Amino acid sequence: MNRFLSKDFLSGLMFIGFGLIALYFGQKLALGTPVRMGPGWVPRMLSLILIGLGGLICVVALVTKGEPVERIKWKPLTLVTVGIICFALLFESAGLLPALIVLVFISSLAGEEFKLMEVIGNTIVLAILCTIVFKVGLGMNIYIVKMLGW
Amino acid sequence: MELLNNLALGLSVAVSFQNLLYALLGCMVGTLIGVLPGIGPVATIAMLLPITFHLPPTASLIMLAGIYYGAQYGGSTTSILVNLPGEASSVVTCLDGYQMARKGRAGAALSISAVGSFFAGTVGTIIIVIFAEPLTRMAQKFGPADYCALMALGLVAAVVLASGSVTKAIAMVFLGLLFGLIGTDVNTGAQRFTFDVPELSDGIDFAPIAMGLFGIAEIVVNLERHLERGGAIKVGSLWPTREEIRRSIPAVLRGTTLGALLGVLPGGGPTLGAFSAYTLEKKLSKHPEEFGKGAVEGVAAPEAANNAAAQTSFIPMLTLGIPSNAVMALMVGAMIIQGIQPGPEVMTKKPDLFWGMIVSMWIGNAMLVVINLPMIGMWVKLLTVPYRYLAPAILLFCCIGAYSLQNSTFHVLQVAAFGVLGYVFVKLGCEGAPFLLGLVLGPQMEEYFRRAMLLSRGNAMVFLERPISLGLLITTALLLVLMALPSIKKARKEAFQEEG
Repeated sequence: MNRFLSKDFLSGLMFIGFGLIALYFGQKLALGTPVRMGPGWVPRMLSLILIGLGGLICVVALVTKGEPVERIKWKPLTLVTVGIICFALLFESAGLLPALIVLVFISSLAGEEFKLMEVIGNTIVLAILCTIVFKVGLGMNIYIVKMLGW
Repeated sequence: MELLNNLALGLSVAVSFQNLLYALLGCMVGTLIGVLPGIGPVATIAMLLPITFHLPPTASLIMLAGIYYGAQYGGSTTSILVNLPGEASSVVTCLDGYQMARKGRAGAALSISAVGSFFAGTVGTIIIVIFAEPLTRMAQKFGPADYCALMALGLVAAVVLASGSVTKAIAMVFLGLLFGLIGTDVNTGAQRFTFDVPELSDGIDFAPIAMGLFGIAEIVVNLERHLERGGAIKVGSLWPTREEIRRSIPAVLRGTTLGALLGVLPGGGPTLGAFSAYTLEKKLSKHPEEFGKGAVEGVAAPEAANNAAAQTSFIPMLTLGIPSNAVMALMVGAMIIQGIQPGPEVMTKKPDLFWGMIVSMWIGNAMLVVINLPMIGMWVKLLTVPYRYLAPAILLFCCIGAYSLQNSTFHVLQVAAFGVLGYVFVKLGCEGAPFLLGLVLGPQMEEYFRRAMLLSRGNAMVFLERPISLGLLITTALLLVLMALPSIKKARKEAFQEEG
């Protein structure tokens, strides 16, 4: 096994990465003095600690040889994420119902089995439930189908 | 008797029609998600946080608390009947609970765990009542430096007790603290890490983050592993035999004590309580060979322990404003949403909320016995709903919930982004709970840190000169040193392996 592909080594790299990002984007923030700390003091302190910890984790991981990372299955992750993004794009422009249909269909594709009739049934149940709970029950100011003005 | 007056006040608040209704609702939802594997209380509470905007503070906290301890009851049903843990805290219940079910004693296992849980919940509530006032009074003496040290201790202890790799978990805390800084700096008004996104200038909302990390990431992982379910076993008679009762009473007592103690510790809570109680019973038993083959103590003790711990884990949150686990971090969030700053002031400024919530916990526990035993048939039916129906529904509720936070789709996109990040965390073996604790405590901790430094004229020694702060920091350091000791390292590793 490649020792650079262990869970620990990669997570160390991730912490270093986040620390560097915070340092880079926080460089314009004034540091201030220890008495009157500026907005940049604490972020800089935290990012430096994070980079230090990340480095430590990396070194330990290289010495001890940690667990390898499991294979990533792209299908569920991609489909679920795409589903949520579609929902976000459709919700205000088209309304709850279109957004809901798209989300339920895309996320159902992410699973092992996809039976069309089941998904349609699930969509109908969820559509009715959401309309009752969010529109009628909680009185949220949302459109069910925007084109129809509901 | 001030205590009795307080309890009377709490009772009057808790039995109002509205609060009873929300307690019942919370317990029902809690049982539901407890029974269903693949969704836990953290994701559910995050999902429902936006809805609590529309409720009065007391009702919303009562409901959220109900979800948390309701999940402890519901989780055992799934463990016993289908040998799948409904919740992390009922993993051990599978060992003996399912074996009892195979011997036709499912009903007895269910009723022992429900009644044991109720007893433990009652004791847990009494402990909260007794310790709330002295702890609060102590906390009122704390200065900014002391608070900062207390939070450091809370965070470190939470990490040490609750996770696999200590270094990684501490790094996660720092990452959480860093994310907590996003937004406008309170003291200077400077924009920090907002990237000119107006939605970020008020600070990053933790509800979408919690939904992403605990809800979405969990769904993705479950879809990968295609969660399977065996057929449910018939429940049979709910009445335990005399022998079963005789053996479970001492187990429940021990489980309750251990769970209540471990629940108060930062990072403790239901899961730790249940595991320790099971190990203890196995060590004390005259027939350790029966464990894993349907020993009734193996069900009674962990079930009592997880519920006692669920109750007592409210103590640090309610009295000091310091969350000890991810669920408590969200409760802190729920209070902030309602404009209540968690901490020792809650008890003096909002006594109706404080005591109302405590009394309602006991009422909720009583409701749960009824919800779980006579209505067991309904929950068993729910177990047959396949995960492919649930996943889209959970996703949908997360999306709508996130949108309703501020009526903006930006928050929905945030859920998606943190879902991906949460997935990365899972793959790298980094835990989400320390991150969430850091995120929630971050802004407050910075505030206390800067105030302490201002008061001491920039002298960092202030943290070592104040006795309270010094004591807390020494404890923190001791904990860290202890974890580095080889013998403890080994014991911890074994304990977590059993868990995994």
